[in-house]
Amino acid sequence: MNKSAQFFRKWLFLLVIGVLLVSSLSGCGSQEKVLKVGYITEQTGVDAYVGAASIPAMQDYVDEVNAKGGVGGYKLELVVYDTRSEVPDAVTVAKRLMDQDKAVAIIGPSWSSAGIPLADIADAAKVPMIGTTASNVNVTVAEDGTLHPYMFRVCFIDPYQGFAQADFAYNKLGLRKAAFLTDIASPYTVGLHQFFEDHFIELGGEIVANEGYTQGDAEFRAQLAKIKDTGADLLVVDAYTFKDVGLAAQQAEALGMDIQIMAGDGVFVPELLEMAGPQLEGAIVTTGVSDIAPEFAEFNKAFEAKHGTQASIYTYYGLDALMAIEYAIGEAAKKGEVTPTAVRDALETMTDVQLFTSKVTMEPDTHNPHNKPLLIMTIKDSQWELTETFQPE
Amino acid sequence: MELFIQQLVSGISIGAIYSLLAVGYALVYSVYNFTNWAFDGFMAFGAFMGFTAITSLFMPFWLAALFSIILTVILSVGTEKLAYSPLRVRKAPRLFMMISAMGVNLATVNIINLIYGGVFRKFPVENLQPIFIEGVSIGRMDLMAGGISFGVLALLWVFLYRTKWGLGIRASSIDILTASLMGINNSGVAIVVFAITGVLSSVAGVFYGIKYAVFPMMGIVTIKAMIASIVGGLGSLPAAILGSMILGILETLVSGYISSTYRDLFSFMFLIVILLFFPNGLMGKSSDEKL
Repeated sequence: MNKSAQFFRKWLFLLVIGVLLVSSLSGCGSQEKVLKVGYITEQTGVDAYVGAASIPAMQDYVDEVNAKGGVGGYKLELVVYDTRSEVPDAVTVAKRLMDQDKAVAIIGPSWSSAGIPLADIADAAKVPMIGTTASNVNVTVAEDGTLHPYMFRVCFIDPYQGFAQADFAYNKLGLRKAAFLTDIASPYTVGLHQFFEDHFIELGGEIVANEGYTQGDAEFRAQLAKIKDTGADLLVVDAYTFKDVGLAAQQAEALGMDIQIMAGDGVFVPELLEMAGPQLEGAIVTTGVSDIAPEFAEFNKAFEAKHGTQASIYTYYGLDALMAIEYAIGEAAKKGEVTPTAVRDALETMTDVQLFTSKVTMEPDTHNPHNKPLLIMTIKDSQWELTETFQPE
Repeated sequence: MELFIQQLVSGISIGAIYSLLAVGYALVYSVYNFTNWAFDGFMAFGAFMGFTAITSLFMPFWLAALFSIILTVILSVGTEKLAYSPLRVRKAPRLFMMISAMGVNLATVNIINLIYGGVFRKFPVENLQPIFIEGVSIGRMDLMAGGISFGVLALLWVFLYRTKWGLGIRASSIDILTASLMGINNSGVAIVVFAITGVLSSVAGVFYGIKYAVFPMMGIVTIKAMIASIVGGLGSLPAAILGSMILGILETLVSGYISSTYRDLFSFMFLIVILLFFPNGLMGKSSDEKL
């Protein structure tokens, strides 16, 4: 027992010496410059699927970049730490990347409750972070309206969908008179409604009815009869629960209404079709990036074949963030030394840069991607049908 | 005008569902002087039994409705025997009965949730197309629900006022102790009252499920019925119906003409005003004459 422990210690010592030697040798030999890109993600805990779907794809991409000679004269190294799906752990590992690893930029987190505290930490450390799927408005812009200079994201914010819906309804469907049926107690619904209304009016449309209900309500005929009376040609029900959209469609039909119904990703679930498929014929449900989009089909197949897990939006947004950093490093290298601040400056001004999911322009005043595309799902024969990918002008 | 009539029609059809539930509350309240909060769970139970009968046992609708009624009556009477009657026998304060009822309610709703899950389901019956009269849509389902609601209520009236058992219940509602001294079988009355409650909640649950959706929390609507029965005048059946109709119509008119966002705010403020002028409810009676 004692002997074997000694034996191990000896070997461990030799191994450490060996590793040190090799690493110092390689450092002297090639003069290779390496930049560390941090990635904080969920490898364990309830959201472990996020890391499982994204890390292999991102490592593949880093290898690919390095094989091509790196970016701006630098090789990239992806340093991945586990947040364990907990906010305190996310903060700890992000600090470690900033202080110890001296990462040039950090990808993550994927959820807003970690993104909000991390934004202050990134600002203080002056290391840029790019949230992947953290969609709450306050991740990049504090509640008092001030921008977090070092916090970015590649997904759209929750209410943005309302903006894009309005654009689609007005410009593509040619609808002019919109009516709302809004759950006044749901921040999601109210946010989408507000963005929809503002943009629809800005475009020249008219809001003819603003009807509300509260969660748990099942009776909408009073509101619908009023909407029918206004002659609206579009009914926006950006509900958080599919039941509300299903019931509204059933009751609208019962009232003899012929109106275009539109809803958001909150109700993009198969149960909606079971509940009110025939009544929702022709209705439009919008959603953000989705693994059902045909342009990802080939990637999904290759990814699953290589790694044995399915690609998801976490894969796509992880790659988006990584590609944004790759771009920013390249830009910073053109101007001089690649520092976290230089990377931040390049991220803020990125315009029409092709990332994985789409071309992205960063909004300098919000650090949100500008006008991300929206998937338009139309209900046909009680089935979802992806009719188009729409990008507001 | 068309809009007004449409709103009125919707209001009446909502009121019809409230009526069934409000009468259930009023009945138990007038005999036992406590609010049967378990009604909420009974209604969801009734709807789920009807749903299961059709989807898993492949029964036709009428049989499924009967199946639901029988099981809900068993649940209701069982609750009386296991949860309420022992408390009454031991002379527990009425407040304790209400707590007991809340317990039964939570248990029922949670068990349904565990077995069926919290999803919303469509009640598997053919969707009947509405009738249009001068542009006003009248749901066949609403007509049926309204018709059956009032049919059930009419039967209940006949039972209470034209039968010996009904006389017993009415006597008990005035003074349960004296009634038992006069030879009225107390536990028999209890069984009948809770059986009726079971029928009402099952019918309301099935209709509510057909009209909207079947889900464990569907019974939350009973709170409106409770309020309706108070506004009408607790302890009186016609008052419960009146209160339900007022609430149903008020809600739709407020939604239609004032603001759907502030519907509950306006409707309930109005109800508070009614109670300020009629503290016993619109048709409230003093305790010597009930039902």
